[in-house]
Amino acid sequence: MDVTLGLLPDSPAGDDGGGVPSGVSTTVKSILTKEDNNKNNMVMCSEVSSSYPVGDQHLGDLELGLGLSIGGGGGGGGLKGKVVAGGGWSQYARILTAKDFKQNSCSSSSCSVSIPNSATSGFKRSATDSVSPTNGNSVVGWPPVSKAHRMPSLANENKSPTGNRISVTEQNKSKNRTAVINDYSNEKARISDKKYHSVKVNMDGSLIGRKVDLNAHTSYEMLAQTLEEMFFRRRSSTEAAKSSRLLDGTSEFVLTYEDKDGDCMLVGDVPWQMFLSSVKRLRIMKNSESNELAPRFQENNERRRTDVV
Amino acid sequence: MDPAATGVTVAGTGADPAKTTMFPEEFLKRTFSLINSDKDRNSVSLVCKDWYNVERMSRRHVSIRNCYSVSPEIVTARFPAIRSVTLKGKPRFSDFNLVPDDWGADVQPWLNVFATAYPFLEELRLKRMAVSDESLEFLALNFDDFKALSMLSCEGFSTLGLEAIATHCKNLTELDIQENGIDDLGGDWLSYFPENLTSLEVLNFSTLTSEVSFDALESLVSRCKSLRVLKVNRKINLEQLGKLLVLAPQLIELGTGTFLEELVSGSVNGLENAFSKCGNLVTLSSFWDATLLHLPVVYPVCGNLTFLNLSYANIGPDELEQILSRSKRLVRLWVVDTVGDKGLEAVGSHCPLLEELRVFPVDPFDQQLGVTDSGLVAVSKGCPKLHYILYFCQRMTNAAVITVAQNCPNFTHFRLCIMNPSEPDYLTNEPMDEAFGAIVKTCTKLQRLSVSGLLTDLAFEYIGRYAKNLETLSVAFAGDSDLGMEYVMRGCPKLKRVEIRDCPFGDSALLSGLTQYESMRSLWMSDCNVTMDGCKKLAEEMSWLNVEVIKDEGGDDRLANKVYVYRTVAGPRKDAPPFVVTL
Repeated sequence: MDVTLGLLPDSPAGDDGGGVPSGVSTTVKSILTKEDNNKNNMVMCSEVSSSYPVGDQHLGDLELGLGLSIGGGGGGGGLKGKVVAGGGWSQYARILTAKDFKQNSCSSSSCSVSIPNSATSGFKRSATDSVSPTNGNSVVGWPPVSKAHRMPSLANENKSPTGNRISVTEQNKSKNRTAVINDYSNEKARISDKKYHSVKVNMDGSLIGRKVDLNAHTSYEMLAQTLEEMFFRRRSSTEAAKSSRLLDGTSEFVLTYEDKDGDCMLVGDVPWQMFLSSVKRLRIMKNSESNELAPRFQENNERRRTDVV
Repeated sequence: MDPAATGVTVAGTGADPAKTTMFPEEFLKRTFSLINSDKDRNSVSLVCKDWYNVERMSRRHVSIRNCYSVSPEIVTARFPAIRSVTLKGKPRFSDFNLVPDDWGADVQPWLNVFATAYPFLEELRLKRMAVSDESLEFLALNFDDFKALSMLSCEGFSTLGLEAIATHCKNLTELDIQENGIDDLGGDWLSYFPENLTSLEVLNFSTLTSEVSFDALESLVSRCKSLRVLKVNRKINLEQLGKLLVLAPQLIELGTGTFLEELVSGSVNGLENAFSKCGNLVTLSSFWDATLLHLPVVYPVCGNLTFLNLSYANIGPDELEQILSRSKRLVRLWVVDTVGDKGLEAVGSHCPLLEELRVFPVDPFDQQLGVTDSGLVAVSKGCPKLHYILYFCQRMTNAAVITVAQNCPNFTHFRLCIMNPSEPDYLTNEPMDEAFGAIVKTCTKLQRLSVSGLLTDLAFEYIGRYAKNLETLSVAFAGDSDLGMEYVMRGCPKLKRVEIRDCPFGDSALLSGLTQYESMRSLWMSDCNVTMDGCKKLAEEMSWLNVEVIKDEGGDDRLANKVYVYRTVAGPRKDAPPFVVTL
């Protein structure tokens, strides 16, 4: 147990060491006891995900708890079937690199910016395309307003698109920096390096898939709200004020994603940046379908049980 | 011209060719030189071999609407005497960031061939091409007679390239730069025009962001007596504009600079005076930062205006009313949706001659209303001659569009963009099928249609059944199944360009257009359900089509996320970047 904890540099291991085991055992217990009840599994998972606020300290706690059994920092909310002891390390590397790139996410003009600019309604590449839309609707190139008819009052000023060239160089510089630090995560770095990161979202029962730009969002809550607006069209302010139902398990739908390995995972369990670097596509699944997730989950439990023992 | 007289019937009757009475070549040449329309020339060239030859030797202008449909060698081989070229490159959806950078459409390979084949080239009009500074310099240095350069939606060049054009093109009559992705490196490109250059007729640098030397501009305007189009950028203020107008009262089209300025009352009068002397002005555009404070300076010319472009001015209904009440002759009007429905009612009341209206969103993501169904109806009531509409709105109803169709049955271009994807009729919650159904049923001359809102296959069934003159169709977030696209591909015989995004159309739909693709310019499908297999099948069936798939990073390899299909006589692209796969 201690060894595992030692691998988690971000965690305030020393001080919280005392408090952690109980946290761990609580979590593990709940995993063990509720494995048969699918619905409760979902509820449990959502408890896990919503039980930590985004504050780093608590994040550290949770990572410690899950790190015990899975070996990766906060990996997969218990749904992922793989033991990733080694992977845990690279996951941290991934987190580092993703954070490194956070500020570069939309400064380049050579990015086909899918971040619609609330200030400038067009989408053509330009140094000014860096403002996220206020309502979180971030479909690439929609509405189809061309550059000419963006509002120039907020565009340009004295800022010329030469800014584009500069930021591309910056991008390259930081790429190199990352490559030096984490060679094995180079590929992952490049992926999280993308200036826009849009993934497909499909909802069970809806024919038309949509695309959402993940880089235009900074948290699960924001993403869930965007998706709810896209698919459920909730626009009244009272609804928006409530926390997203997709994430807390109270809706009839569940938000899942397909990760790089092709596994179907529940959204919300890993830190946001880690999610960004492993997500391939999103799927809003009917709660009844989420049974599929359970078997892997059970598989997990078994493995976990042996690890613990 | 009676084809029979040129020897065709003679050939048919088997008579002795020596006895043929044919029109002398000189006669054909002179006659054809009067034919300017590309369409007519294309028809002429199909009559017989002689006509084909005379036509091709006498053609002065060629329009290549897809730069990959033909190669520069083929063009120059067929038409040796070209003086003016129009060249269009990227698919239109590149304007909305759906086409990756470095996709292609580089103008340089064309310039290389033109340098030897058309050393007397005078005009080059580019749209959605990739143009570098080196290319602009090459152009300036290799074509001594070069006169007119127009670039719309191009990118890759900077003000350095403009310096080259200004320096070396001794006979320049036109420099028209619009909507481009330019690196505005500032500098003084305008000052590079030599003192002895007096030929300029068209100068449009409205989309450049940095300051130009006003002295250089003033001197240029003053010595170019034939200047008829002047569109300055936002760095030019009202006072400077006034000075320019005094020097060029002969202007026909004017793009203003910024209206943001505290003007002394003397200046205001001076400006109004300057405007009143411009008796030929029929087009006014730009109007950055315009408010009721200084808008009145343009009132003296409003009465003559036929085209008013206010799409950069965030004005409200009152400002619009003030201008429009004085602009009774307006034929084309572009506005921002800040004018609201009330502003559109003013359009309906004051502009009976209006034929074209474009309403742009000030902020597509702001859920505020902008314009709605009632504004559109108001315009249609007051402007029966309306035949071109581009309308961005947050919500619409079937009933409104049906009314509009009845009021304006002459639509040739109907582009309605309800900004929330798949948005239903906001009153009835039904799909918008009946709206577009009404348009295609009533407007038999419809050439261009952009649909939006919640649409089922029924909308496409209507389009396929009624839109028999449809040439361009843009579809997004619509339809239920392959049937939708199939209805259109099978039903609309005149389709030229189809662009589809985010619709549930798959391989079956793609393949249903087999008979159409030969006569179409291009098809774009992105984020639909088309697979690589489907594309391969299409490519196998039609060898003179380029079926290109733009690969997404890390996508499913079986899916063809972005497909661009176009007819070509030039074979697969030789300059395709690694992410473009030709099947």
